[in-house]
Amino acid sequence: MGALTDKYCIVGVGETPQMRPSNRTTLSMACEAVTKAMMDAGLAASDIDGMTSYQVADSTSSAHVATALGLRLNYCLDIFGGGSSTEALVAHAIGLIEAGYAKTIVCFRSMNGRSGRRMGGQIPGGPIPVATAMDDNQFNMGWGWTTPAQRFGMSAMRYLRDTGCTTKAFAEIAVAHRYHASLNPKARLRSPITIDDHQRSRWVVKPFRLLDCCQETDVAAAIIVTSRERAYDLRHPPVFIMGGYARTMTEAPQWNYSRPVLHYVAGNYGWKRAFGMAGISHSDVDFVSCYDAFTFTTLIQLEANGFCGPGEAGEFVKGGRLQIDHELPSNLSGGHLSEGYTHGVQMVIENVRQLRHRADDACPEWREGRHTYDRSKGCRQVKNARICCGMAWGWENMASCLILRGIAA
Amino acid sequence: MPVTIDYSKLRIIPDPDTREWWDATRQHKYLVRRCNRCGHKWFPPNIPACSKCMSMEIGWFETAGKGVIHSYVVVVQPIVGAFVGAVPYVVAVIELDDCKEEDGSVTRVAGVLTNDETEVAIGLPCEVLFEATNDPKIVMPRWRVSGSAENTWKFSE
Repeated sequence: MGALTDKYCIVGVGETPQMRPSNRTTLSMACEAVTKAMMDAGLAASDIDGMTSYQVADSTSSAHVATALGLRLNYCLDIFGGGSSTEALVAHAIGLIEAGYAKTIVCFRSMNGRSGRRMGGQIPGGPIPVATAMDDNQFNMGWGWTTPAQRFGMSAMRYLRDTGCTTKAFAEIAVAHRYHASLNPKARLRSPITIDDHQRSRWVVKPFRLLDCCQETDVAAAIIVTSRERAYDLRHPPVFIMGGYARTMTEAPQWNYSRPVLHYVAGNYGWKRAFGMAGISHSDVDFVSCYDAFTFTTLIQLEANGFCGPGEAGEFVKGGRLQIDHELPSNLSGGHLSEGYTHGVQMVIENVRQLRHRADDACPEWREGRHTYDRSKGCRQVKNARICCGMAWGWENMASCLILRGIAA
Repeated sequence: MPVTIDYSKLRIIPDPDTREWWDATRQHKYLVRRCNRCGHKWFPPNIPACSKCMSMEIGWFETAGKGVIHSYVVVVQPIVGAFVGAVPYVVAVIELDDCKEEDGSVTRVAGVLTNDETEVAIGLPCEVLFEATNDPKIVMPRWRVSGSAENTWKFSE
């Protein structure tokens, strides 16, 4: 067990709707998400003394948000980063609180990911009319190879070749996450899909079809971290942070395609630390979240984090294993594929709600933690949800993880 | 059908670490970085230090521009304007024949093939060629399949 296992908790979560377009500033959306997370926790302005955020030069700052809301901070910081940053900022918050720099810290991400700066450099209306390539882009834009889909596709293609896995395994992930979205009133895409629907969807970049790719949305989301002692006094049952790893890297950068195995991703280097810190094994995990920028990123992370052996992920996900009421439900809000894209925050938010037994579904009494578990009536609460492993992806070379438990665990 | 790229919609801005690389492609030479201390080779050339021995005393190695396709993608939805008329096109990661090192490490590079996807498979040999662009200072390397091989692997839908 880690020295700080269960000592810190996530006590508040909140987000704006998933919009496209938002017609709002990232500052306005961030203020809404932070306010909602504070209300969720039952915290007043005077209780918050730390704020952090991440962005890729596309968003507002902690200083702007805190001062807009009249929060007087003892600590603020904005880091450069995308996927895998949420969990890293949680780890960072633990260190800050432990060291006495702050008591209660809000972490947020606010992005106009559809109407503003799009991944891969597209303008809101479509392809970049005239592209300027400098820095790393000198060695990818000239070969029309800029987007995450195009880059991760290279590792995915080699994975298919090396393991014999087929795109039907990708489909299993798309189907599972969409099924969960169908039980989530907040999700953008809620119509259930089949393996065949996935296989018939149009190509974006082979080996990825449209239904392998996440949404692009305008959204802000926030979570609040504080100590166990403070958490006991707040509105919801605390969700304890058992362990994790934070922006763990491989030795080679993502853009170095000379790394020995293209699909040997960063999670391989992290999971033993996370599970050791948490003092659990894989069989203790009731459900997971697994960063689904693409179906493949979920697939490869399950393998990298030891839920199955090398090359086995394609078999592992077969037969609906990742669906609710099956062995290892994944991304219960619908994830990036179907709910919307928040660069990872929403997965932590959903995991917190599940561990509180307060998934905000169609059950009339979800706020009191009472669920029907009847999927035909829109219940998406995992029965007896106690421990969750959240796996996050930056690129092939960078990953984070957060193992959480609810009070019943 | 040859894949045509509209280079008028692409502007490459070399920097102090990459200028010599672009100078070389103008002379139809394909360079990778080489460490002057330990001999390790790498790509892309904007990485200014050797990841094997941390030396920053680095130079260049002129490759023969021949290799084997290690992986590839087929871009169907274009993102960069220069490639709108080129879809579907194949981008490949290519393992260079003359950059294999004693410790088993290899240097791989990436580029657009002139071949369409029906002619491409993992394991096939390929070679570099050079293409003029609208900017007289920039010549762009491309790759083409140069032969056949056993035990190739092709993506099947």
